[in-house]
Amino acid sequence: MATEHRTTADDDAGEADEQTRLPLGVSVAAAAVAAAVLLPVLWLIKTSLDVGFAEATALLTRPTTLEVLLNSAVLVVLTTTACVVIGVPLAYLTVRTDLPFRRFWTVVVSLPLVIPSYVGAFAFVSAFGPQGGFQRLLAPIGIERIPEIYGLEGTVLILTLYTYPYVYITARASLKSMDTTLIDAARTLEHDRWETFRRVTVPQIRPAVAAGALLSGLYVLADFGTPSIMRYDVFTRVIFVEFGTFGRDTATLLSLQLVAVTVFILWLESRVRGEERTTAGGRSRAVVSLGGWRYPAMGFAAAIAGLALVVPLVILLSWLGTASATVNQSLAFQWSYAANSVVIATAAAAVAVVAGLPVAYLSARYDGLLPTAFERISYVGYAVPGVVLGLALVFFGSQYATPIYQTLYLLVFAYVIRFLPQSVGSLRASFLSVDPALPEAARTLGQTSAGAFRYVTLPLVAPGLFGGAALVFLTTMKELPATLLLRPSGFTTLVTHIWTAYESGYFGQAAVPALVLLFVSGLSMLVILRQEGYDVK
Amino acid sequence: MKEHNETSRTETPRTRRRFLQAAAAAGIVGVAGCNTPGGDGTDTETEADSGGDGTGGSAPEQIGSGRSPFGDRELSGVSMSEMPDLEGELTLYSGRGQALVGELVGFIEDRYPDLTIRPLYNTAAELVSQIQTEGQNSPVDVFYSVNAGALGALAQRDRTQELPQEVLEFVPQNFRAPDGHWIGTSGRARSIPYNTDTFSESDIPDSIIAFPETSAFDGELGWAPTYSSFQAFITAMRILEGDEATREWLAGMQELGVSQYGDEFQVARAVADGEISAGLTNHYYIQRVLARRGLGAPLRTTFTQNDAGAVFNVAGACVLDTAEDSTLAANFVRHLLSAEAQDYFARTTFEYPLVPEVEPIGRLPTIDELNPPEDIDLSQLADLEGTIDLLRETGVL
Repeated sequence: MATEHRTTADDDAGEADEQTRLPLGVSVAAAAVAAAVLLPVLWLIKTSLDVGFAEATALLTRPTTLEVLLNSAVLVVLTTTACVVIGVPLAYLTVRTDLPFRRFWTVVVSLPLVIPSYVGAFAFVSAFGPQGGFQRLLAPIGIERIPEIYGLEGTVLILTLYTYPYVYITARASLKSMDTTLIDAARTLEHDRWETFRRVTVPQIRPAVAAGALLSGLYVLADFGTPSIMRYDVFTRVIFVEFGTFGRDTATLLSLQLVAVTVFILWLESRVRGEERTTAGGRSRAVVSLGGWRYPAMGFAAAIAGLALVVPLVILLSWLGTASATVNQSLAFQWSYAANSVVIATAAAAVAVVAGLPVAYLSARYDGLLPTAFERISYVGYAVPGVVLGLALVFFGSQYATPIYQTLYLLVFAYVIRFLPQSVGSLRASFLSVDPALPEAARTLGQTSAGAFRYVTLPLVAPGLFGGAALVFLTTMKELPATLLLRPSGFTTLVTHIWTAYESGYFGQAAVPALVLLFVSGLSMLVILRQEGYDVK
Repeated sequence: MKEHNETSRTETPRTRRRFLQAAAAAGIVGVAGCNTPGGDGTDTETEADSGGDGTGGSAPEQIGSGRSPFGDRELSGVSMSEMPDLEGELTLYSGRGQALVGELVGFIEDRYPDLTIRPLYNTAAELVSQIQTEGQNSPVDVFYSVNAGALGALAQRDRTQELPQEVLEFVPQNFRAPDGHWIGTSGRARSIPYNTDTFSESDIPDSIIAFPETSAFDGELGWAPTYSSFQAFITAMRILEGDEATREWLAGMQELGVSQYGDEFQVARAVADGEISAGLTNHYYIQRVLARRGLGAPLRTTFTQNDAGAVFNVAGACVLDTAEDSTLAANFVRHLLSAEAQDYFARTTFEYPLVPEVEPIGRLPTIDELNPPEDIDLSQLADLEGTIDLLRETGVL
């Protein structure tokens, strides 16, 4: 195939040598980032040690533990598969084809990521649950029962709808930075379109899709709100039963078990990644004409996004009708909440990209234990349930960083640790798609290594950079558990306001900030996508 | 909020009702990241509202001045003006929702020019974990909780300090910790709402254990098993009667064909609508329906006697061992027991004031007339794990 290099190809001994000496500055930076991510795990271990050995053994070997682990595994596998099946075609359609209103769909299909999955779950249960709105619509025509939404199927449905954007956004970034001349070459070799996709595109985007799928899978593993609403017993439930009964130490012990499962999944994903190739970044924009398939393709995008967005929107709007005119002061919506959300999400996205750069760069460019370790470690904070991560940082903040405890600095730090892999995953996939020969050429032309990075590599990885920033931004916008534990007193974001209204049953008051959350995130996505050199107007 | 056609049977938009059920099923704390999944109960406080139909506190006609809910009812008890002034900085961790107590906290803060209150709102269980994790560096002075369980959890971990006698004396002994390390500020009783068109008070057994054997209840009862207060009641039954008897009771109730609702406000409304004829709810849901529909609605409250069905739980507060200014912290708690605050609880949530001089609002017996079970330590009721397992085994959840 055209111009590919294995990163560590030994086709040139000199180059291989070059490749194995890690650049010191970048390595130190990556090590610092990895160390920061490991902080919470240290706390987990420290706290778990407070659980007596006998109790710990009993807890970890309970029969239910095995059962919920199995349930979790089934859930993760099914959801991740479904995310790939939905996310990759959507990415392909919005990047490579003449899909009608392509720019519109580009933004819309990424928006489900903004809806907290538990809100989606509530909405679906109220629409499709027994005696839900949907059931009542059908009752007159004699349909007494609709399929049960509770249980495994419902949980997979909800989590797929709200996590497929991980795959979509990473796959999209990778498709955008892929060299389409390869495709032209394959087509001239008489490959039909499907064959071309399978033999050329798939190997190219596989690392990115794997990164996205990993994000979906780990999200599902650590999410507890959705399975609990959908009444499906998973691992996180056990953890939160412990929290609910003030068993913080046992809860952290169980979270460690979750970390162990995560490590296994990370290892698994390394195997699936397959052979990673780097290729020369291409500039051409071959657009595939969908012909008669244009409208079915648009229908597909509309159906997925519609299901994920319209159901919660309808429910939210129906709550709006219940909003109270005489609600008390503390529930009045203020625009400053939206500003707060945007400010911290922007800060988190920027810091997460900067922190992710050295880790992603090393792991894409160099083989060896350290680069791989740094990259894998960056996922750990993401796989710990938010409340556990929040508590870990409560510990470090209150004990060792009193000046920044309950300030926005620590809060942003928490977001970065929590969502770092979202930027690392996208960035890494982009670095893999940049031919190392290009910055080298710049070096021979007299550029410093920093200059080569700045003027050659960075523009080429921009789609991944902004894709990663978008992911971090969107997920920070909806982050709740760590926010509640670490926010300064009186600091209200859209999501904490939704929660306040919600937990006291003022659903009408929860609707406005939820709609604003969607709107603001949608606008921000537009801005981010414009930045990535994509002309969305 | 306007209750839509509250009098018709098909009243509220079903989607919202289902949402409420779902919300209750998850325990709204799910949002906060601290519920016990599987529709297990939590320490959330939906009871602070009117289940989506709330008026954001007191019904308008009850607010005298219109300027604040501390208006013109004849106040009884000790007024804030007779209490020591508050000055300084106070960090308050509140497990009671901002929507409910934010107004009261703001009222106290505004009263004293030299007082700054820094409130942090979260679920009670998470705040306990947070305080535990902060250890001796905790900035918190006062912890305010929706249930006694969370207060007991902190006291057990030696994180509380004894309140001064003159604060403890505000409430009867059974509403505070024996060692004086926490104090109840308002209360809620388990109760039996019944429809007066179907039953008279004498038709309702005095014993919750007798319910499954009461043939008149066949197909006529409703409950909300996902709700934390219901689960606390089952926990009380396990403590008083044992697991086996509780299991049988649950099975018996299911044989009666008890209807499941998403939250207890719905149970109370269904009773008033005649959809069912009696139910199991916290006392204030009944008052809330009556407040909305008027006393003409065929709905009344009764209580079982000296058993789990009549458990009386409290929301309350404690002063932390790390409190910078113990006097300020204790005096803040004292303000929660003032005539104004007690009246506020009675009026905004229809809770029981715990200060004996303050009467509850609505058609309720006074606290002295209630007969809750003896030998129940309220902080035991937070132990839900065994209860949830039992509810799952019996198929109730």
